[in-house]
Amino acid sequence: MQRRTFLTTAGVGVTAGLAGCLVDDGNGGNGGNGGNGGNGNGNDTADGNGNGGAGSDITVGIIYSTGGLGDDSFNDMANAGIERAVEDFGISYKDAEPDAPADMNQMQRNFAGDEEIDLVCCIGFDHATDLEENAAEFSDQQFVLVDAVVEADNVANYTFREHEGSFQVGHLAGLLTTTDYAHGGGETNTDETVVGFVGGQETALIDRFEAGYIAGVRHADDSIETPSAYAGSWNDPSRGQEIASGMYDDGADVVYHAAGGTGGGVFQAAQSAGRFAIGVDDDQSISAEDFSDVIVASMVKRVDNAVYDSVEAVVNDEFESGMNDLGLDDDGSVSATIGQDFEGELPEDIVDALEESRQAIIDGEIDVPDTTDDL
Amino acid sequence: MSGDGSKGSSEDGGWRERGGATLDRLVDASAAERVAISLGSLVFALVVGAVLVFVSGFVAECSSPFIYLPGLGYGCYNPLEMYWTILDGAFGSFTDLGQTLLQTTLLLFTGLSVAVAFRAGLFNIGTQGQMVLGALATAMTVLTVGEFVPDTLLGSLVVIPVGIVVGGFVGGVWGMIPGLMKAYANAHEVITTIMLNFVAAGVAYWLVQVHIGDLASDSVQTEPIPGVARLPASIDGSRFSLIALVGALAIAIGIALLYSRTVIGYDLRTSGIQEAAAEYGGVDARRNVVTSMTLSGVLGGIAGAIYVTMVQYRWQAGIPPLGFDGIAVSILAGNNPIGVIPAALLFGTLKTGSVAVDISLGIPNELVEVLRGLIILFIAMPEFFRLLGKHYGFGSEPVATDGGERR
Repeated sequence: MQRRTFLTTAGVGVTAGLAGCLVDDGNGGNGGNGGNGGNGNGNDTADGNGNGGAGSDITVGIIYSTGGLGDDSFNDMANAGIERAVEDFGISYKDAEPDAPADMNQMQRNFAGDEEIDLVCCIGFDHATDLEENAAEFSDQQFVLVDAVVEADNVANYTFREHEGSFQVGHLAGLLTTTDYAHGGGETNTDETVVGFVGGQETALIDRFEAGYIAGVRHADDSIETPSAYAGSWNDPSRGQEIASGMYDDGADVVYHAAGGTGGGVFQAAQSAGRFAIGVDDDQSISAEDFSDVIVASMVKRVDNAVYDSVEAVVNDEFESGMNDLGLDDDGSVSATIGQDFEGELPEDIVDALEESRQAIIDGEIDVPDTTDDL
Repeated sequence: MSGDGSKGSSEDGGWRERGGATLDRLVDASAAERVAISLGSLVFALVVGAVLVFVSGFVAECSSPFIYLPGLGYGCYNPLEMYWTILDGAFGSFTDLGQTLLQTTLLLFTGLSVAVAFRAGLFNIGTQGQMVLGALATAMTVLTVGEFVPDTLLGSLVVIPVGIVVGGFVGGVWGMIPGLMKAYANAHEVITTIMLNFVAAGVAYWLVQVHIGDLASDSVQTEPIPGVARLPASIDGSRFSLIALVGALAIAIGIALLYSRTVIGYDLRTSGIQEAAAEYGGVDARRNVVTSMTLSGVLGGIAGAIYVTMVQYRWQAGIPPLGFDGIAVSILAGNNPIGVIPAALLFGTLKTGSVAVDISLGIPNELVEVLRGLIILFIAMPEFFRLLGKHYGFGSEPVATDGGERR
């Protein structure tokens, strides 16, 4: 960290070209630094300025997943990352929103074949199969894939250990439902101990969320009921509301969703039932602020950092292919983030218990399952 | 133009008469006149679309507005630029052209599928479902058969036709179901085909997710089909295959000939349009309803087969709504198999062009969709009034005995 600070400071002072080199050198430790929000940002802005025009001729093509922009979640997170890169490095970007996975192939090819574009960011696992072929065909293009893995020399993969973060919010939900607690727009029902899970489409990825969550709930108390259901869609809030309402009616105190835009309906249901909900991907107490009085926490997955870091690597001309498997220990790449209205308002013993389980997961003392089969 | 049918004032003998006269003229319009009306409507739709895009630009937010009008504020969207981008995106390079032709080929199949049913007086909304199942059947077939054939041209000549036949067969069976329900249980085909779309999508999704899919992948999809089963790409950078387009054009011409030159075609047309008259003439109208829906389903299934072997190279949940676009294509073409060709080209252009708009302009894709809707609306309107007029006996010729076709 100290070395990095030194280099950056020096870099700003020296001529633009030299600054570029120096910053490049210092950047080895930069990937891990991504989670470091404000601090990392400040420095990076300086980098961008130091580089002058060098960074600004980079163009990124970004293709979202089918949930699309405006989900206050996964895709908006990716967009936040690229917007931050625009601010910090002066890059420009083109984006595309596929209506269906079938559109992804052509969009990838459009961007990959575009002379201007230096990096193609593919957001979401539906990109994987097409990218396998396109990465081979466009071997000069650099790609980033979030949430899946394509093994190629020109693809940088970012996957997250969502089950670890889900374990944490599950732990929180389990502790809450066994506690008499009221705050914001919700209160717990002390008669029953039930916490729910709502998934988008039934895929291995979302199964990972569910597995971690249920394991976390059981870590709090083995006897808690954990109903779970899938909406079959990433952008069907009314279906999400329907499912979650049913769960709240059955006595659920907390419902956790991993369903993209469908999750908006879960929050709605929580508000009308006067119970709690847990958001996903982004800190949804901020991104879906209307519901911040019931969003007790969010399982934040820093897709924005993945995008930002990969763009930064290209700006610094040190793109690296391969795997980035990010979990609780990687500077908050995955974390259980308490909602803004609940910060400091949760019972002390719950907060302590969460910190304990976090450390235990990082230390490997708790083995978090990544499929519901392993529960 | 279209509006005249309902417009008019009390002078000149009242709107009824004038409307009637307009309907007469529409019903009696020759093929050339109808093409002219369609082109005029297209231009009109483009103008209205331009105004709409321009106006929406004033309520949108953007970083670099293209125009400032005092009193109105900043306008974000330049409609001329949008049209240029659509054209450039659809025809600007060989790759773009290939992409446009690829969409056109698929729309030709789905458009023909809808048109075939329409010709028999049946409204097949189920092309989408027939396509989804046909696509899945083709994918599974070529995945299975592909293992047993050599990876050569000869292998392709076996695998691809087999895949297409199986896809067409499954689509045909799926189309036959609403046909049977219509013919023997009097269930309205609009309802049954719509509902069968959901059944098809659900069955396919479940099959792929739980049983026959690529379980290693997070996506709900089958394994990619082998190279031997892929239609050879004709243009660099696009998966467009000339073979498929030529096939589609041949089928369009074949269907046109079927209806205009053969007894079967004549029977199919008449039994749909005037069941009683056809029965009187010794035609089994019920069987013809089933035949028409099956044929429609076969074409839908082939659309799915082409989609898998030319475009996606696998089956994946979330097949684009080509079947529904086919309805628009068919309406635009006046349900004429030959008319489907330019209609499919127009929609293929808009489809490919709208991707370019999405990527390179700030104009939301939804506005391009609105434009597509406007085009259908404006072009279909004269046709709608023409059909309406014909139905109520306007025009100078009788209807049912010529098999419902007007030339």
